Amino acid sequence: MAKPLVRLRVVEIGLAAGLLGLLLRAGQVQLVEGHKYAAAAKAQRTERVVLDARRGSLFDRHGLGLALTQETYHVGIAPNELRDPARDAATIARQLRLAPRDVERGLHRRYAWFAGPFTTADVQPLRTTRGVHLEPMLRRFYPSSEFARAVIGRVGEDGRGGGGGGGGLERLLDSLLAGTPGAAVVLKDRSGREYESPARVISEPVAGNDVVLTLDAELQEIAQRALDDAIDNMQADGGDVVMLDPATGEVLAVASRRADGSMRPSAFTETFEPGSLAKIFAAAALITYERVRPGEHVSGEGGRYRLPDRVVTDEHPLPSLTLADAIRVSSNIALVKFAARLHPDEQYGVLRAFGFGSPTGVEFPAESPGRLRPPREWSRPSAASLAIGYELAVTPIQLAAAYGAIANNGVLLEPSLIREIRAPNGTVRYRHRPEPVRRVVSPEVAAKLRELLRGVVEQAGGTGERAALANFQLAAKTGTARRVVGGRYAAGQYTASFAALFPADEPQLVVVMKIDNPQKGSYFAAQTAAPVTRSMLEQALAARTVALDRARLSNVASTADRAPLDEPDGVVPYVVQWPYTPDTAATEPDRIIPNVTDRPLREAIRTLHRRGFHVVVKGWGVIHHTWPAAGEHVAPGTTITVFAEPPPAKR
Amino acid sequence: MTFRGRHWIAFWLVALLGALWVVIYRQTSALNSARALADLREARAALEGRRAELDRRVRTAQSRTVLLPRARKLGLRLPADTEIILIPVPGSTSH
Repeated sequence: MAKPLVRLRVVEIGLAAGLLGLLLRAGQVQLVEGHKYAAAAKAQRTERVVLDARRGSLFDRHGLGLALTQETYHVGIAPNELRDPARDAATIARQLRLAPRDVERGLHRRYAWFAGPFTTADVQPLRTTRGVHLEPMLRRFYPSSEFARAVIGRVGEDGRGGGGGGGGLERLLDSLLAGTPGAAVVLKDRSGREYESPARVISEPVAGNDVVLTLDAELQEIAQRALDDAIDNMQADGGDVVMLDPATGEVLAVASRRADGSMRPSAFTETFEPGSLAKIFAAAALITYERVRPGEHVSGEGGRYRLPDRVVTDEHPLPSLTLADAIRVSSNIALVKFAARLHPDEQYGVLRAFGFGSPTGVEFPAESPGRLRPPREWSRPSAASLAIGYELAVTPIQLAAAYGAIANNGVLLEPSLIREIRAPNGTVRYRHRPEPVRRVVSPEVAAKLRELLRGVVEQAGGTGERAALANFQLAAKTGTARRVVGGRYAAGQYTASFAALFPADEPQLVVVMKIDNPQKGSYFAAQTAAPVTRSMLEQALAARTVALDRARLSNVASTADRAPLDEPDGVVPYVVQWPYTPDTAATEPDRIIPNVTDRPLREAIRTLHRRGFHVVVKGWGVIHHTWPAAGEHVAPGTTITVFAEPPPAKR
Repeated sequence: MTFRGRHWIAFWLVALLGALWVVIYRQTSALNSARALADLREARAALEGRRAELDRRVRTAQSRTVLLPRARKLGLRLPADTEIILIPVPGSTSH
């Protein structure tokens, strides 16, 4: 047995070796593998989380929210943490509007998860419930779900406009709206649960830009509702409405709908043959190249004109027609005859200059360029077809822009849907300015074209008479064209369309309305799209916030050519003093109801209104009789019902 | 007076306790602030959600789809354009 001193030495050496081993291991852990272990510890105790950036909002031109981002929640339930599982389950089911059985089933699991998403109002009473864990998430919210849905589009499940998104502006503007996500580090315990401690923010999320659209919410609603009613009442396959400010190119309303209720952005993406709506562009070429003299007549050919390859007909032929007559009554024969004086390059050049055959440049994905073939691809009847709006495929937005050029003294503007882009701090990053594309026709030619269009509505026999307003003049054109289905003209199917400049002097609004295959009643645009357009304009005038310059409008209205009163008595009862002070004590003597029998409806209404009567219209056309009858004495403000009879149908 | 061994021990113990108290105080205070911040954030989100819901309801109630049928039931109608009076703004001219 070794001596105690030796044994002590051995122990000392052993301890020293152990200590040395410990030191070496510590050195290895700390110095050699330190980074690895530090990273592992960090990963175990911390988690990097993405801080979602708030997606920018979409507003209408008056600041009304169209697409907003709202905080919503997923709800997780830890059953073992609930104080009173039965009562809490009932509360959760009631608040989240879940089936009680689903919640009960969830409580049998270790952790129940309800994806929702649930609104803040839903989860508010659950915030204080122990065992209920809320996970916030940002969700896109559309206050009016059907409002311009085809234009605005939708975001996908990932909250982005691309990928699985629903297209439209949400997709096009995704990079502007999305913002930049931030990042933060949170502490976790060994079970992976987050500590209730402030997160260490690495980078703050940057919210997306807000975009102000050119759309006017009230006009949009007027357009959508008018289109819905028209499609339902006429049993049409679908339709489109576009409203445009011709001075700026700003699109004020776009409505598109199919009969099944679906909404495709067809105003931008689907083409149709415009038919008679394109006659004004043939007229533009004829006036520009001076191929028609003022007052020059061509024969109406008795309504049937034979060309080498086809027969052109007129629905209501006139014996002879000027260019103004041809536009007013929408004569195919006269336009074909006049347009034969144009060289194909001239005819093509003017149509091309008005923007047909190329995208308008409006900020909408997948805009269709339409179709306009160059002269080298034309067949023999092409020139005649193009003069009356066939062999030409256009979108409603192209038509609106082209009519806008006529309203804008001959300058074609690029239509726009975006009015302003604002940074999250409110700084304006972009503001729309009118973008002239080119001068299409001279101001003088544009004025002549507006006069031709005015005649369509304001002169007797014009195809747009049913769109006429009593106090404001309208310049417009009707179009009824055969409809192409599957590459062929479908028997008995027509597209009724109407393009209007309101008012005719200094137009503030271009309206293009298209109704696909109206099946109930007439299919002519004069009886379908024209009165619907008038109704939309009346509603726009009555609306408070619509983007119309009423000061300018009042001046135009005051200078409008008005028919004289049938019995002028110097009384103009609708002029009010400003500021208006109602005087309830004032009484006025009874007035005689004027005789308006056989007068046109518009003139009769105007006459009765100027006498201080309210008017209810039954039917349309010329006045048959009134109730109370003409000659009776009644108090000012009495409602007079006028009964009208329709004139023969016009194209 | 000179510090002896036990005084030093007491001093370091008090210093340690003091430091620990400061750490705990700061942690507690930070947690309270974080909780208050989270509460405010939640309250704001709740109010924003409520505002959005009210906006939606107001928008629906103001829509023509709702208003026009009710107005018709009450015997009201949209005015014809002849019944809309635009009062010329003094000094404004046509341009």
